[in-house]
Amino acid sequence: MTTPEMGAEKKLARSDVQRSFWLWTFFSHANYNYERLQGTAFAQAMTPIIRKLYKDPEEIKAALKRHLVFFNTEPNVGGVIHGAVIAMEEQRANGADIDDDAINSVKSGLMGPLAGIGDSISQGTITPILLSIGIGLAAGNPNVIGDGNPLGSILYFVLEVGIMLGLAYFMWMQGYDRGREGVMTILRSGLLDKVLTGAGVLGNMVMGALTYQFVHVFLTLNFKIDVGGGNQTDFDVTGDLLNPILPGLLPLVFTLLTWWLLARRRVSPIWLLVIYVVIAMVGAFQFIDNPNCPSILHEFFQPECNPAPAA
Amino acid sequence: MQRLTATPLATRVAFLVTAGLFGVLLFAGPALAADGDSPKAGLIQAALVGLGYYFSNSPWIAGNGGFFGLYRPLVAGFIVGIIFGDPVKGAEIGAAINLLYIGFISAGGSIPADPSVAGWVGTALAMAGGLDAASAITLGTAVGLLGTIIFFTRMSVDAAFAHRADAFAEKGDIGGVSRANWVWPQIFLFIISFFPATIAVYLGANVVGDAITWLGTNAPWVLRGFQIAGGLLPAIGIAMNMRFIFRGSVMPYYFIGYILAVTAGSGINIVGIAIVGAALAWIHVSLMGSRAMQAREA
Repeated sequence: MTTPEMGAEKKLARSDVQRSFWLWTFFSHANYNYERLQGTAFAQAMTPIIRKLYKDPEEIKAALKRHLVFFNTEPNVGGVIHGAVIAMEEQRANGADIDDDAINSVKSGLMGPLAGIGDSISQGTITPILLSIGIGLAAGNPNVIGDGNPLGSILYFVLEVGIMLGLAYFMWMQGYDRGREGVMTILRSGLLDKVLTGAGVLGNMVMGALTYQFVHVFLTLNFKIDVGGGNQTDFDVTGDLLNPILPGLLPLVFTLLTWWLLARRRVSPIWLLVIYVVIAMVGAFQFIDNPNCPSILHEFFQPECNPAPAA
Repeated sequence: MQRLTATPLATRVAFLVTAGLFGVLLFAGPALAADGDSPKAGLIQAALVGLGYYFSNSPWIAGNGGFFGLYRPLVAGFIVGIIFGDPVKGAEIGAAINLLYIGFISAGGSIPADPSVAGWVGTALAMAGGLDAASAITLGTAVGLLGTIIFFTRMSVDAAFAHRADAFAEKGDIGGVSRANWVWPQIFLFIISFFPATIAVYLGANVVGDAITWLGTNAPWVLRGFQIAGGLLPAIGIAMNMRFIFRGSVMPYYFIGYILAVTAGSGINIVGIAIVGAALAWIHVSLMGSRAMQAREA
C-alpha cells in the first residue's frame, strides 16, 4: 500500500509516456508464453514510469510485481489500457486512493474486450484488406505469366506497419489523456461499429475479387448422350452446363462450400487442407487414356478437354 | 474472437506428416547433396533466409514490422526473391503462399499454422526447386505446419523467463525485469528458429530440386496435382477470412466483388476493385447511419 507523500507533485513528462509506448510496441511479444502471455512485456513497458514515480525500494518492488501478472490483449488497440494504467499510477504516486485491486481490475477487465475488438480491427480487418491488395498486385494475373509486381509487397509493408504504429500511438495517448472513462466512451460510441461495417463492405469486395483471381477449378467430364434415333452427342459439364450459367461458377461455388464447411460445419482447416490435396492428386491422375486431356481436374481451362459438342 | 484451433487428431496427423517429411530430408539431404552437381542453395543464402525467419518472429522491427510485416509470406517471399536473385518471382510465390493465410488470426497464444515459416522456407525451397507459384502453395503449406512446433516450444519454454522476472522483481531490480523480457527469450528464440530454418533450406533445396526432377519423369500427375491443389487451396484461406466478415448486411458485396472481377477481367486490377469497395462502403455506412437515426427519432 502506498503512503501519501507530501512535497512536490510527481509529474510524468510526455517523453516518459512515449518511452513506455515504444518499449511496449517493440517488446510486447518478446517473451510471449503460455503462463503469463504478455505479462513480462507489460512490466517492461512500465519500467520508465516506475523509475520516474517511485523512489522507495519497497514501492518499486510492489510496482514491478503488480505488473508482472498475467496479461494478454491486442498490442496496438489494447494500448489504451496501458495509457489508462499509466495515468492511474501517476495519480497513485501523488497520493490518490488507488490500490492494487483498482489497477488490476482495469487491466483484467479491459484486456479481454480489447483483445476481441483489437483482433477484429487489426488482424481481422486491416491486415486481410491490405494483404488482398498486396497479393493481387504481387501475384498478378495467373493467366499472364510474369505479370507480378513486387511493389505489392512493399506497398503492403509500408501501409500495414504505418497504420498499425499510428493506431497504436493514438490509442495509447487516448488512454493516458482520457483515462479509463475515456476508454469506455470510445468503446461505446457508434464510430467503431461504422468503421467495422464499412471495412466489412470493402473486405467482402476484395475477397470476391480474390476468389475469381486465385481459386481455379476446371472440371472435365464428358458424357455421350442419346439424342434419339441412335445418334449420340458429347455433353461436357463445364462447357455445356456450368459456363453458360456463369463463367467461373465452379470456383465461386467451391469457395462458398469451403466457407460453409469451415464456418457452419466447424471442419478443421487442417483437415480441409489434407482433403483438398488428396482431391487434387486424384483429380490429376490419368484414369482414361486420352492424350489430349490427361485428367478430369485442371488448374486452368483446357480447350482440348472441352470439345465443342458435335451437332 | 474465435480461436482457430485444430482438432487434436488433425494436428497429430499434420505433425506426423511434417515430422516424417523433415526426417526424410535430414537423412536424404546430405546424400543427395553429395551426388548432385552443386547445391541449389548456398550456405549464405540459406543463413539469410534463416535470419529473416528469426526477424519475422522477433521484436526488432518496431514489433509490428515483424508480426504484421516480415511474418507475412507476401513480404517474406519478396525478400527471399532478392536473396535468390529474382525478386519478381519471389514476390509472386510469396503472394501465392500468403493466399492461404489471408484469414490468419493468432489469438490468445494459439496459431493454426505458421505463415512465417511457409513464407521464408517455403519460398526458398520453391525457388531452389524451380516450382511455379501455384505448386509452391502446396509446398509452403506443408512447411507451414512445421512452424507450429517451433511456436509451441517457444510458448512453453518462455514461461521460465517469467519466473526469472519474478525473482528480479523481488529484489527491486528494474533492469533485471526488463532483461528477462527481451534479452534471454530472444537468444532462445534465435537458437530454435535460425538454425532449423537454415538447415531446412540448405539441405531441403537439393531434396526438393531432385524430387521435382524425378517426379517430372516418373509421375507427372503428382506435379499436375500440385498445380491443381494450387487452384483449390486459396479457397481455404479466403474462406477463413470470410468466417469473420461474410455475414449480415454486407454479404452481397462478396458477390459484387466476384462478378466485377469476372466481367471486367483484366480491365480492372485489385486496386481498382478496392476503390470501388471503399466507395460502396461509404454509401453503405451513410445510408445505415441515417436509417439508424430515423429509427431513433421515431
